[in-house]
Amino acid sequence: MVEWFFGYLAGAVILLAILVVASRNPVHSVLWMLLMFLHVAGLYLLLNAEFLAATQVIVYAGAILVLFLFVVMLLNLREEIKIRRFTGGWLFKGLTALGIIYVLRRGLEGFRVGFEGPWSIEAVGRATHTRALGQVLFTEYILPFEIASLLLLVAIVGAVFLSKKRLR
Amino acid sequence: MVPLYWYLWLGGVVFAIGVFGFLARRNIIIMFLSIELMLNGVNISLVALSHYMQDLRGQILVFFIIAVAAAEAAIGLAIIIAMFRNRDTLHADEMAEMKG
Amino acid sequence: MPGSYLPSSYLPVLIFLVISLVFGLGALVMGGMFRLRRPYAEKLRPYESGVTPVGEPRQRFSVRFYVIAMLFVVFDVEVIFLYPWAVVFDRIGLFAFIEMVIFIFILLVGYVYAWRKEAFVWE
Repeated sequence: MVEWFFGYLAGAVILLAILVVASRNPVHSVLWMLLMFLHVAGLYLLLNAEFLAATQVIVYAGAILVLFLFVVMLLNLREEIKIRRFTGGWLFKGLTALGIIYVLRRGLEGFRVGFEGPWSIEAVGRATHTRALGQVLFTEYILPFEIASLLLLVAIVGAVFLSKKRLR
Repeated sequence: MVPLYWYLWLGGVVFAIGVFGFLARRNIIIMFLSIELMLNGVNISLVALSHYMQDLRGQILVFFIIAVAAAEAAIGLAIIIAMFRNRDTLHADEMAEMKG
Repeated sequence: MPGSYLPSSYLPVLIFLVISLVFGLGALVMGGMFRLRRPYAEKLRPYESGVTPVGEPRQRFSVRFYVIAMLFVVFDVEVIFLYPWAVVFDRIGLFAFIEMVIFIFILLVGYVYAWRKEAFVWE
Protein backbone atom coordinates (compact mmCIF):
# COMPACT_ATOMS: atom_id res chain seq x y z
CA MET A 1 0.00 0.00 0.00
CA VAL A 2 2.68 2.50 1.07
CA GLU A 3 4.81 1.38 -1.87
CA TRP A 4 2.04 2.33 -4.27
CA PHE A 5 1.65 5.77 -2.79
CA PHE A 6 5.39 6.28 -2.84
CA GLY A 7 5.63 4.99 -6.41
CA TYR A 8 2.96 7.36 -7.65
CA LEU A 9 4.36 10.40 -5.80
CA ALA A 10 7.98 9.70 -6.75
CA GLY A 11 7.12 9.09 -10.41
CA ALA A 12 5.05 12.27 -10.53
CA VAL A 13 7.79 14.32 -8.85
CA ILE A 14 10.46 13.15 -11.28
CA LEU A 15 8.24 13.60 -14.34
CA LEU A 16 7.19 17.08 -13.24
CA ALA A 17 10.79 18.06 -12.46
CA ILE A 18 11.77 17.08 -15.99
CA LEU A 19 8.85 19.11 -17.36
CA VAL A 20 9.95 22.14 -15.32
CA VAL A 21 13.41 22.02 -16.83
CA ALA A 22 12.28 21.23 -20.37
CA SER A 23 9.33 23.60 -20.85
CA ARG A 24 9.82 26.32 -23.43
CA ASN A 25 7.49 28.79 -21.78
CA PRO A 26 8.50 29.96 -18.26
CA VAL A 27 4.84 30.21 -17.24
CA HIS A 28 4.41 26.51 -17.97
CA SER A 29 7.57 25.79 -15.98
CA VAL A 30 6.22 27.63 -12.96
CA LEU A 31 2.89 25.81 -13.15
CA TRP A 32 4.56 22.38 -13.41
CA MET A 33 6.65 23.42 -10.42
CA LEU A 34 3.47 24.19 -8.49
CA LEU A 35 2.16 20.68 -9.17
CA MET A 36 5.53 19.24 -8.18
CA PHE A 37 5.49 21.08 -4.84
CA LEU A 38 2.07 19.61 -4.07
CA HIS A 39 3.37 16.10 -4.74
CA VAL A 40 6.41 16.76 -2.54
CA ALA A 41 3.97 17.79 0.18
CA GLY A 42 2.32 14.39 -0.29
CA LEU A 43 5.70 12.73 0.22
CA TYR A 44 6.13 14.69 3.46
CA LEU A 45 2.78 13.38 4.67
CA LEU A 46 3.99 9.85 3.95
CA LEU A 47 7.07 10.63 6.04
CA ASN A 48 5.02 11.73 9.04
CA ALA A 49 5.91 15.40 8.61
CA GLU A 50 2.50 16.97 8.34
CA PHE A 51 3.52 20.42 9.52
CA LEU A 52 6.22 20.54 6.86
CA ALA A 53 3.66 19.42 4.29
CA ALA A 54 1.49 22.37 5.28
CA THR A 55 4.53 24.67 5.19
CA GLN A 56 5.41 23.39 1.76
CA VAL A 57 1.93 24.24 0.50
CA ILE A 58 1.71 27.62 2.26
CA VAL A 59 5.20 28.98 1.65
CA TYR A 60 6.47 27.24 -1.46
CA ALA A 61 3.30 26.73 -3.46
CA GLY A 62 1.41 29.67 -2.01
CA ALA A 63 4.02 32.40 -1.73
CA ILE A 64 7.30 31.70 -3.54
CA LEU A 65 5.70 30.46 -6.74
CA VAL A 66 3.26 33.37 -6.74
CA LEU A 67 6.32 35.61 -6.59
CA PHE A 68 7.79 33.76 -9.57
CA LEU A 69 4.57 34.11 -11.52
CA PHE A 70 4.49 37.81 -10.70
CA VAL A 71 7.97 38.26 -12.09
CA VAL A 72 7.19 36.26 -15.22
CA MET A 73 4.23 38.55 -15.75
CA LEU A 74 6.29 41.68 -15.05
CA LEU A 75 8.69 40.80 -17.81
CA ASN A 76 7.79 40.67 -21.44
CA LEU A 77 8.64 37.22 -22.66
CA ARG A 78 7.31 36.88 -26.15
CA GLU A 79 10.67 36.85 -27.89
CA GLU A 80 12.11 34.73 -25.10
CA ILE A 81 9.97 31.79 -26.14
CA LYS A 82 11.33 31.79 -29.66
CA ILE A 83 15.05 31.48 -28.94
CA ARG A 84 16.87 28.21 -28.38
CA ARG A 85 16.00 26.46 -25.16
CA PHE A 86 19.24 24.74 -24.26
CA THR A 87 22.76 26.04 -24.50
CA GLY A 88 25.21 24.25 -26.69
CA GLY A 89 27.04 21.23 -25.39
CA TRP A 90 24.11 20.07 -23.30
CA LEU A 91 25.41 16.54 -23.57
CA PHE A 92 28.26 17.56 -21.28
CA LYS A 93 25.79 19.06 -18.83
CA GLY A 94 23.71 15.90 -18.89
CA LEU A 95 26.87 13.94 -18.12
CA THR A 96 27.50 16.24 -15.17
CA ALA A 97 24.06 15.47 -13.80
CA LEU A 98 24.58 11.74 -14.39
CA GLY A 99 27.94 12.04 -12.62
CA ILE A 100 26.18 13.44 -9.56
CA ILE A 101 23.80 10.48 -9.61
CA TYR A 102 26.78 8.11 -9.90
CA VAL A 103 28.60 9.69 -6.96
CA LEU A 104 25.39 9.46 -4.99
CA ARG A 105 25.04 5.78 -5.84
CA ARG A 106 28.54 5.00 -4.66
CA GLY A 107 27.95 7.00 -1.52
CA LEU A 108 24.67 5.27 -0.74
CA GLU A 109 26.07 1.75 -1.04
CA GLY A 110 27.65 1.77 2.39
CA PHE A 111 25.07 3.96 4.08
CA ARG A 112 23.34 2.60 7.19
CA VAL A 113 21.00 4.45 9.50
CA GLY A 114 22.76 5.11 12.77
CA PHE A 115 21.25 5.24 16.25
CA GLU A 116 17.60 6.08 16.56
CA GLY A 117 16.47 9.32 18.12
CA PRO A 118 13.69 9.84 20.64
CA TRP A 119 10.98 10.89 18.17
CA SER A 120 9.45 7.64 17.00
CA ILE A 121 6.13 7.71 15.16
CA GLU A 122 4.28 6.98 18.40
CA ALA A 123 6.12 9.74 20.27
CA VAL A 124 5.38 12.26 17.54
CA GLY A 125 1.77 11.09 17.44
CA ARG A 126 1.42 11.48 21.21
CA ALA A 127 2.87 15.00 21.20
CA THR A 128 1.20 15.98 17.87
CA HIS A 129 3.56 16.91 15.11
CA THR A 130 3.53 20.69 15.33
CA ARG A 131 4.13 20.59 19.06
CA ALA A 132 7.01 18.14 18.69
CA LEU A 133 8.61 20.35 16.04
CA GLY A 134 8.12 23.49 18.12
CA GLN A 135 9.59 21.76 21.15
CA VAL A 136 12.82 21.04 19.31
CA LEU A 137 12.88 24.32 17.38
CA PHE A 138 12.41 26.63 20.36
CA THR A 139 14.72 24.86 22.79
CA GLU A 140 17.63 23.54 20.73
CA TYR A 141 17.62 25.90 17.77
CA ILE A 142 17.21 29.37 19.27
CA LEU A 143 20.20 30.96 17.58
CA PRO A 144 19.39 29.75 14.04
CA PHE A 145 15.84 30.90 14.65
CA GLU A 146 16.95 34.44 15.47
CA ILE A 147 19.39 34.41 12.58
CA ALA A 148 16.51 33.44 10.29
CA SER A 149 14.81 36.68 11.29
CA LEU A 150 17.97 38.60 10.37
CA LEU A 151 17.95 36.84 7.02
CA LEU A 152 14.35 37.86 6.41
CA LEU A 153 15.28 41.42 7.40
CA VAL A 154 18.04 41.38 4.78
CA ALA A 155 15.52 40.07 2.25
CA ILE A 156 13.10 42.92 2.97
CA VAL A 157 15.78 45.62 2.85
CA GLY A 158 17.43 44.21 -0.27
CA ALA A 159 14.29 43.71 -2.26
CA VAL A 160 12.76 47.07 -1.29
CA PHE A 161 16.03 48.81 -2.11
CA LEU A 162 16.44 47.08 -5.46
CA SER A 163 12.92 47.61 -6.67
CA LYS A 164 12.15 51.04 -5.21
CA LYS A 165 15.29 52.96 -6.11
CA ARG A 166 14.46 53.47 -9.72
CA LEU A 167 10.87 54.50 -9.20
CA ARG A 168 11.77 57.96 -8.02
CA MET B 1 7.67 -1.18 3.44
CA VAL B 2 9.59 1.55 1.64
CA PRO B 3 13.34 1.38 2.33
CA LEU B 4 15.19 4.60 3.12
CA TYR B 5 17.36 4.55 0.06
CA TRP B 6 14.37 4.88 -2.28
CA TYR B 7 13.78 8.31 -0.79
CA LEU B 8 17.47 9.19 -0.97
CA TRP B 9 17.49 8.14 -4.62
CA LEU B 10 14.45 10.26 -5.33
CA GLY B 11 16.09 13.28 -3.67
CA GLY B 12 19.29 12.68 -5.62
CA VAL B 13 17.51 12.39 -8.95
CA VAL B 14 15.52 15.59 -8.35
CA PHE B 15 18.78 17.32 -7.38
CA ALA B 16 20.49 16.08 -10.56
CA ILE B 17 17.60 17.30 -12.71
CA GLY B 18 17.99 20.69 -11.04
CA VAL B 19 21.72 20.73 -11.76
CA PHE B 20 21.08 19.85 -15.38
CA GLY B 21 18.47 22.59 -15.73
CA PHE B 22 20.75 25.14 -14.13
CA LEU B 23 23.62 24.31 -16.46
CA ALA B 24 21.68 23.76 -19.67
CA ARG B 25 19.02 26.47 -19.65
CA ARG B 26 19.83 30.11 -20.17
CA ASN B 27 16.51 31.67 -19.26
CA ILE B 28 17.29 33.16 -15.89
CA ILE B 29 13.85 32.44 -14.41
CA ILE B 30 14.14 28.75 -15.26
CA MET B 31 17.66 28.72 -13.83
CA PHE B 32 16.12 30.06 -10.64
CA LEU B 33 13.45 27.37 -10.69
CA SER B 34 16.22 24.80 -11.09
CA ILE B 35 17.78 26.05 -7.87
CA GLU B 36 14.44 25.52 -6.16
CA LEU B 37 14.40 22.00 -7.62
CA MET B 38 17.80 21.30 -6.08
CA LEU B 39 16.63 22.61 -2.70
CA ASN B 40 13.60 20.35 -2.89
CA GLY B 41 15.74 17.34 -3.68
CA VAL B 42 17.76 18.02 -0.56
CA ASN B 43 14.59 18.60 1.45
CA ILE B 44 13.16 15.22 0.47
CA SER B 45 16.37 13.49 1.59
CA LEU B 46 16.45 15.39 4.88
CA VAL B 47 12.83 14.65 5.77
CA ALA B 48 13.31 10.98 4.87
CA LEU B 49 16.42 10.73 7.03
CA SER B 50 14.60 12.49 9.85
CA HIS B 51 11.76 9.97 9.64
CA TYR B 52 13.95 6.88 9.49
CA MET B 53 16.34 8.03 12.20
CA GLN B 54 13.37 9.09 14.37
CA ASP B 55 14.89 12.48 14.99
CA LEU B 56 13.21 15.79 14.26
CA ARG B 57 16.38 17.74 13.57
CA GLY B 58 16.26 17.00 9.85
CA GLN B 59 12.81 18.54 9.68
CA ILE B 60 14.01 21.64 11.54
CA LEU B 61 16.73 21.99 8.92
CA VAL B 62 14.12 21.75 6.16
CA PHE B 63 12.14 24.42 7.95
CA PHE B 64 15.13 26.77 7.81
CA ILE B 65 15.82 25.84 4.20
CA ILE B 66 12.30 26.92 3.30
CA ALA B 67 12.84 30.26 5.06
CA VAL B 68 16.15 30.73 3.23
CA ALA B 69 14.50 29.84 -0.07
CA ALA B 70 11.86 32.51 0.49
CA ALA B 71 14.48 35.17 1.24
CA GLU B 72 16.55 34.04 -1.72
CA ALA B 73 13.56 34.17 -4.05
CA ALA B 74 12.65 37.69 -2.89
CA ILE B 75 16.14 39.12 -3.43
CA GLY B 76 16.99 37.08 -6.53
CA LEU B 77 13.82 38.05 -8.31
CA ALA B 78 14.37 41.69 -7.37
CA ILE B 79 17.82 41.43 -8.98
CA ILE B 80 16.24 39.86 -12.08
CA ILE B 81 13.78 42.74 -12.34
CA ALA B 82 16.54 45.33 -11.93
CA MET B 83 18.64 43.58 -14.58
CA PHE B 84 15.71 43.32 -16.95
CA ARG B 85 15.06 47.04 -16.59
CA ASN B 86 18.67 47.83 -17.45
CA ARG B 87 19.40 45.24 -20.11
CA ASP B 88 15.97 44.23 -21.41
CA THR B 89 16.89 40.56 -21.59
CA LEU B 90 16.40 37.38 -19.60
CA HIS B 91 19.27 35.56 -21.27
CA ALA B 92 22.00 34.81 -18.76
CA ASP B 93 24.78 34.84 -21.37
CA GLU B 94 24.13 38.48 -22.16
CA MET B 95 24.71 39.56 -18.57
CA ALA B 96 28.47 39.24 -18.68
CA GLU B 97 29.88 42.73 -18.21
CA MET B 98 31.63 41.59 -15.03
CA LYS B 99 33.64 39.12 -17.10
CA GLY B 100 37.29 40.17 -17.27
CA MET C 1 7.99 1.30 12.02
CA PRO C 2 9.40 3.92 9.64
CA GLY C 3 8.80 3.10 6.00
CA SER C 4 5.42 1.49 6.42
CA TYR C 5 3.73 4.49 8.02
CA LEU C 6 0.44 5.50 6.41
CA PRO C 7 -1.11 8.83 7.41
CA SER C 8 -4.57 7.31 7.72
CA SER C 9 -6.09 10.49 9.15
CA TYR C 10 -5.54 12.08 5.75
CA LEU C 11 -7.82 9.58 4.01
CA PRO C 12 -10.66 12.18 3.73
CA VAL C 13 -8.25 14.56 1.97
CA LEU C 14 -7.35 11.82 -0.51
CA ILE C 15 -11.01 11.01 -1.14
CA PHE C 16 -11.72 14.71 -1.59
CA LEU C 17 -8.88 15.06 -4.10
CA VAL C 18 -10.00 12.01 -6.07
CA ILE C 19 -13.63 13.14 -6.18
CA SER C 20 -12.71 16.68 -7.23
CA LEU C 21 -10.39 15.37 -9.96
CA VAL C 22 -13.00 12.95 -11.27
CA PHE C 23 -15.65 15.65 -11.14
CA GLY C 24 -13.55 18.27 -12.94
CA LEU C 25 -12.11 15.99 -15.59
CA GLY C 26 -15.46 14.20 -16.00
CA ALA C 27 -17.25 17.46 -16.71
CA LEU C 28 -14.66 18.40 -19.34
CA VAL C 29 -14.71 14.98 -21.00
CA MET C 30 -18.50 14.73 -21.01
CA GLY C 31 -18.77 18.24 -22.42
CA GLY C 32 -16.28 17.35 -25.11
CA MET C 33 -18.27 14.25 -26.04
CA PHE C 34 -21.68 15.84 -26.31
CA ARG C 35 -21.18 19.42 -27.49
CA LEU C 36 -21.52 20.64 -31.06
CA ARG C 37 -18.28 21.70 -32.65
CA ARG C 38 -18.66 24.20 -35.48
CA PRO C 39 -15.76 26.63 -35.12
CA TYR C 40 -15.29 29.71 -37.24
CA ALA C 41 -12.95 32.65 -36.87
CA GLU C 42 -15.39 35.00 -35.15
CA LYS C 43 -16.31 32.38 -32.57
CA LEU C 44 -12.72 31.47 -31.71
CA ARG C 45 -11.67 35.05 -31.07
CA PRO C 46 -10.93 36.06 -27.45
CA TYR C 47 -14.07 37.39 -25.81
CA GLU C 48 -13.85 41.03 -24.84
CA SER C 49 -17.48 41.89 -24.21
CA GLY C 50 -18.28 42.10 -27.89
CA VAL C 51 -15.54 44.59 -28.78
CA THR C 52 -12.87 43.59 -31.28
CA PRO C 53 -9.72 42.68 -29.29
CA VAL C 54 -6.91 45.23 -29.47
CA GLY C 55 -3.27 44.54 -28.68
CA GLU C 56 -1.63 41.65 -26.89
CA PRO C 57 -3.19 39.67 -24.07
CA ARG C 58 0.13 39.65 -22.19
CA GLN C 59 0.68 43.09 -20.77
CA ARG C 60 3.39 44.10 -18.40
CA PHE C 61 2.34 44.58 -14.82
CA SER C 62 3.73 47.38 -12.74
CA VAL C 63 6.68 46.70 -10.44
CA ARG C 64 4.58 47.93 -7.52
CA PHE C 65 2.85 44.54 -7.53
CA TYR C 66 6.20 42.87 -7.04
CA VAL C 67 7.05 44.89 -3.95
CA ILE C 68 3.75 43.92 -2.36
CA ALA C 69 4.18 40.23 -3.30
CA MET C 70 7.71 40.20 -1.92
CA LEU C 71 6.64 41.67 1.40
CA PHE C 72 3.87 39.07 1.51
CA VAL C 73 6.38 36.24 1.05
CA VAL C 74 8.64 37.46 3.85
CA PHE C 75 5.85 37.96 6.34
CA ASP C 76 4.33 34.63 5.31
CA VAL C 77 7.53 32.96 6.45
CA GLU C 78 7.36 34.91 9.69
CA VAL C 79 3.84 33.61 10.32
CA ILE C 80 5.00 30.05 9.60
CA PHE C 81 7.46 30.44 12.46
CA LEU C 82 4.67 31.70 14.68
CA TYR C 83 2.53 28.55 14.35
CA PRO C 84 4.76 26.08 16.24
CA TRP C 85 5.60 28.81 18.72
CA ALA C 86 1.92 29.32 19.53
CA VAL C 87 1.48 25.57 20.00
CA VAL C 88 4.41 25.09 22.41
CA PHE C 89 3.99 28.41 24.20
CA ASP C 90 2.27 26.84 27.21
CA ARG C 91 5.20 24.44 27.71
CA ILE C 92 8.16 26.78 27.39
CA GLY C 93 6.58 29.96 28.70
CA LEU C 94 8.51 33.18 29.28
CA PHE C 95 11.66 31.97 27.55
CA ALA C 96 9.81 31.35 24.29
CA PHE C 97 8.08 34.68 24.69
CA ILE C 98 11.39 36.56 24.85
CA GLU C 99 12.71 34.63 21.86
CA MET C 100 9.68 35.60 19.83
CA VAL C 101 9.82 39.23 20.92
CA ILE C 102 13.39 39.47 19.60
CA PHE C 103 12.36 37.72 16.38
CA ILE C 104 9.42 39.99 15.75
CA PHE C 105 11.41 43.10 16.73
CA ILE C 106 14.06 42.34 14.10
CA LEU C 107 11.38 41.89 11.47
CA LEU C 108 9.67 45.04 12.65
CA VAL C 109 12.85 46.93 11.76
CA GLY C 110 12.45 45.65 8.20
CA TYR C 111 8.80 46.64 8.23
CA VAL C 112 9.66 50.17 9.35
CA TYR C 113 12.35 50.36 6.68
CA ALA C 114 9.87 49.34 3.98
CA TRP C 115 7.43 51.87 5.37
CA ARG C 116 9.96 54.70 5.39
CA LYS C 117 11.06 53.81 1.87
CA GLU C 118 7.40 54.18 0.86
CA ALA C 119 7.09 50.58 -0.32
CA PHE C 120 3.43 50.65 0.64
CA VAL C 121 2.64 53.89 -1.19
CA TRP C 122 0.69 53.33 -4.39
CA GLU C 123 1.84 56.31 -6.36
